[in-house]
Amino acid sequence: MSLLRQQGSTATAPPSAVPARGLRTPVTGRRPGGLSARTRHKGMGLLLVSPFLLLFLAFLVAPLCYAFWLSLRTSTLVGGDHFSWFANYQQTFTDPQFLSGVRRVVVFGVVQIPLMLGLALLGALIIDEVTSRLAKVFRMTLFMPYAVPAVIGALMWGFLYSPTFGPVNSISHSLGLGKVDLLSHALMLTSLGNIVTWQWTGYNMIVLYAALQGLPREVYEAAKLDGAGQLQTALRIKIPMISSAMVLALMFTIIGTLQFFTEPRVLEHSASSVITPDYTPNLYAYNLAFQYSEFNYSAAISFSLGAVVFIGSYFFLFATRKRSGLK
Amino acid sequence: MTTVAAPAVTAAPATGRRPSAARGRVTVNVVMVAMILYFLLPFWWLVVAATKGNDALFSTAALWFHSPGSFFTNLQQLFTYNDGEYLRWMGNTAIYAGVSGVGATAVATLAGYAFAKYRFPGRNLLFSSLLGAIMVPATALAIPTYLLLSKVALTNTMWAVILPQLLNPFGVYLVRVYVQESLPDELLEAARMDGAGELRVLWSVALPTLKPALVTVLLFSMVGTWNNFFLPLVMLNNDKLFPLTVGLQSWYEGAMIQSGANALFTLVIAGSLVAILPLIVTFLLLQRYWRGGLTVGSLK
Amino acid sequence: MSSTRRPTSRSVRRTAVAATSAALAGVLLAACGSGGGSGSGTTGSGPVHIKVWAWYPQFKQVVAEFNRTHKDVQVDWVQAGVGQDEYTKLKTALKAGQGAPDVVMLEFQELPTIQLTKGLLDMGKYGANADKGNYVSWAWSQASDGDHVYAIPVDGGPMAMMYRADLFKKYNLKVPTTWAEYKEEAAKLHKADPSAYMTDFGSDETAAGWRQGLAWQAGSRPYTYSASKLPDIGVKLNDDNAKKVYEYWGDLVKNKLVDTASYATTDFYNGLSTGKYATYIAAGWGPGYLSSVAAKTSGKWRVAPLPQWTAGAGAQGDWGGSSFSVTSQTKHPKEATEVARELFGTSQAAWKIGIDQAYLFPLSNPILNGAYFKSKKYDFFGGQQINSVFVPAANGISTFDWSPFQDYAYNTDTSEVGKALQGQNAWSSVNDNVQQQVTSYASKQGFKVSK
Repeated sequence: MSLLRQQGSTATAPPSAVPARGLRTPVTGRRPGGLSARTRHKGMGLLLVSPFLLLFLAFLVAPLCYAFWLSLRTSTLVGGDHFSWFANYQQTFTDPQFLSGVRRVVVFGVVQIPLMLGLALLGALIIDEVTSRLAKVFRMTLFMPYAVPAVIGALMWGFLYSPTFGPVNSISHSLGLGKVDLLSHALMLTSLGNIVTWQWTGYNMIVLYAALQGLPREVYEAAKLDGAGQLQTALRIKIPMISSAMVLALMFTIIGTLQFFTEPRVLEHSASSVITPDYTPNLYAYNLAFQYSEFNYSAAISFSLGAVVFIGSYFFLFATRKRSGLK
Repeated sequence: MTTVAAPAVTAAPATGRRPSAARGRVTVNVVMVAMILYFLLPFWWLVVAATKGNDALFSTAALWFHSPGSFFTNLQQLFTYNDGEYLRWMGNTAIYAGVSGVGATAVATLAGYAFAKYRFPGRNLLFSSLLGAIMVPATALAIPTYLLLSKVALTNTMWAVILPQLLNPFGVYLVRVYVQESLPDELLEAARMDGAGELRVLWSVALPTLKPALVTVLLFSMVGTWNNFFLPLVMLNNDKLFPLTVGLQSWYEGAMIQSGANALFTLVIAGSLVAILPLIVTFLLLQRYWRGGLTVGSLK
Repeated sequence: MSSTRRPTSRSVRRTAVAATSAALAGVLLAACGSGGGSGSGTTGSGPVHIKVWAWYPQFKQVVAEFNRTHKDVQVDWVQAGVGQDEYTKLKTALKAGQGAPDVVMLEFQELPTIQLTKGLLDMGKYGANADKGNYVSWAWSQASDGDHVYAIPVDGGPMAMMYRADLFKKYNLKVPTTWAEYKEEAAKLHKADPSAYMTDFGSDETAAGWRQGLAWQAGSRPYTYSASKLPDIGVKLNDDNAKKVYEYWGDLVKNKLVDTASYATTDFYNGLSTGKYATYIAAGWGPGYLSSVAAKTSGKWRVAPLPQWTAGAGAQGDWGGSSFSVTSQTKHPKEATEVARELFGTSQAAWKIGIDQAYLFPLSNPILNGAYFKSKKYDFFGGQQINSVFVPAANGISTFDWSPFQDYAYNTDTSEVGKALQGQNAWSSVNDNVQQQVTSYASKQGFKVSK
């Protein structure tokens, strides 16, 4: 592609800069005194991408391969390591703890994701329309939680959720709802969902807002002339036009949700009879490795989870490829 | 949109719609205020709690101040506790974020530019693996990375935290898209005509145009590193190398378990407040950059 | 010169060389930057530096004291983590083959787990057996296996009951000496003040040792394990004694006579400091803990012996306590053993700091049974000589084995207790469920389990 452009550009290049010989030579041929454009490009391209490639190999491919190798072995407390083929994977897919964890994150996602993305979309539409100072404050405030480390966010909410100190309980008392234990078994997922929503709505909102900002304004003019109100414009025009951004945001959110780890981990200590070590698949993998030293089975769990995520994402992308604009 | 001047022809209908438009506006404002309050709640609590001493923390209403406040005492304790380890943690965090941020941006820029403007063997394969790379959970990589790094005796060093974070596939993706959208080949060709070497082209022509994308990647890289908890938790045993996230978490655990360490709660709170300020300020100051970068990133 | 006009092979090569050198420099820097990360220190002349991981409060002073009195061995102390965090780092470092310290602080229940990974040095080979008589026998038996010494005990947690004397007076409660009496007083209290509880039932992971300590007192011995008898292990988590304890507390929970807040959370502290809990079933390290989380109730608490199942029986249990072990990665076993034995050991100076400032409960006989400790008055307890309760408790504890998969056992127990709390299971089935899961796990891990 770039070669074609190169050919075409001879017509537009400033005449003084065009070397008479060079570009009329077929590009695959050798030019005296230098490499061909193709080789030059190849060499340069490889060079520029090599740091990334090295890091990619060292910190993604190598650990993944090692983890896979680990997952093919079994290690017991008594008796050490031995090769066991896919026994670990077999165990994974019949392990009630892994399966209940998967079920839990799916249930969590089904409720929390639409809620959060709905809020993000609402927010994005609002700040696209309204340009008041309030809107600017709104935009910044919703985005601020993104700047907070998940650990600190979980600590903050942990305090707020406290049955004794948290304002939540004094509010519920005054509303006549009595004592509400947000860290109880029944409400834990909701409480976790709240933290995640607080943390990520702003980020998704900005992504969708950016997409909205890229839409051509003429369409709105036409709509207004046709008598469309703001709401109608939003629903019928804006949302469909940013569907590709929405699909991508949805996909990344799903990926993140399936890997849910940090908030349960931080709250694990203060709510350990509710957040069991297998609460989410990722937490399960973590505890298997770091608490029980079952590195092999942990690797198998991670890979199984990764497989679920991977296959799901590609399927999702494939199904929405027209919408998302990716080829 | 509310400031768009409608042509005279539609003036009449516009007047007729005004009451409902005003009502709609009020609703929107109410929604905004409600959401602002909700999102600000934890920050508000944090600021209020940071002004309280231990006793007040556990015995007064969570959302309002209690006088006398002990904000400055808390701050003083924060910075002097355990020989000022908080300050050391701040320094560590700044180093990790700075080095990783700049490094990751440089790597991502070079790679993104290469993917967009050059052809080389394996290009498509490598690029399509980027998306897969984003989907791999960090926990899957943590132990193998630790075990591999220990073979080269790099664990428990700053490099164990910095090196893995130089890998930013999303940043590569962002730069590539931006380059494709905003950097026409003709521009590069013109520079080459003028006799610039490839690196010169990159430096003088491409980079200035790419600035918004670079700032975006830099910002998100730095945020990612600043906030990273899991990787340093796994890699570091020496509490002198902890970043703020791991350090604060260790204080929190200590406050829960140890005797004689109750004062740590006030430290954790004050420490959390101080820890999040730099990022928030940075975001506020660099708003226009990351918005611009994200704009292009979402348009493919 | 034409070389400036268009890219040539030379310029590409030059770039390549520059880039490669930069990369190489980076790698070299990285390798250099790793110095001093792990393991023991210098060889050759000069004192041997021993790296220690510990999280004792006020430990810095103890280290300073040791360094002052030992010129050929110096301790470098790092707090790598508290509790589980430290164990995680240790286990990962042991697996990786490098990065572990020379000496590490380990709670007693974690010892078999680490020992099984072959991560602990046998200090018996370096003279540690000479210390046998210095420590209470139950702690020494947990720290050793015949002549193999894997840990030097430091502190312990014999259990006793701390109660609010002022609240007892207010509600006319008498100090219970049996668990039956405890229940009666609890009912009286709750009737008089429904918002008050006799105590908080530890339902979470942090309190797993609390529950185990109470079962210990009741006579439960869930594990029969000795590293030298691998792969045999006896597991009996659902014997009558354990069941008795769990059903008792389940009953108290059901009748709302005790609270169920997680231990070591701010809600728990609040309960202790606002008089919500009239008693605190505590361990020997409890005084320090209580005086810091409930500082404003100073003077109102007293200590009494743990209630008994049979009047006058004198059975005791332990909750927590730690020791120093030497890891197998040490390059200076002799010096590391010296450090483990002498950081606290029987040193009066170190223990003065340990007792007065860190509120540690010594397991070292001369200190434990010494006059200073026994007669020490604690203002927080209204001047009571609380160790007159704790010391006999410590001396009255009988042997108890831990399992090499204690984390798993504790997590399973916490899980099942959680389910009982929610009403999913009967309290009487908790121990059976835990027994079933733990024995199944042990078999899968290659142990020969006898029940």
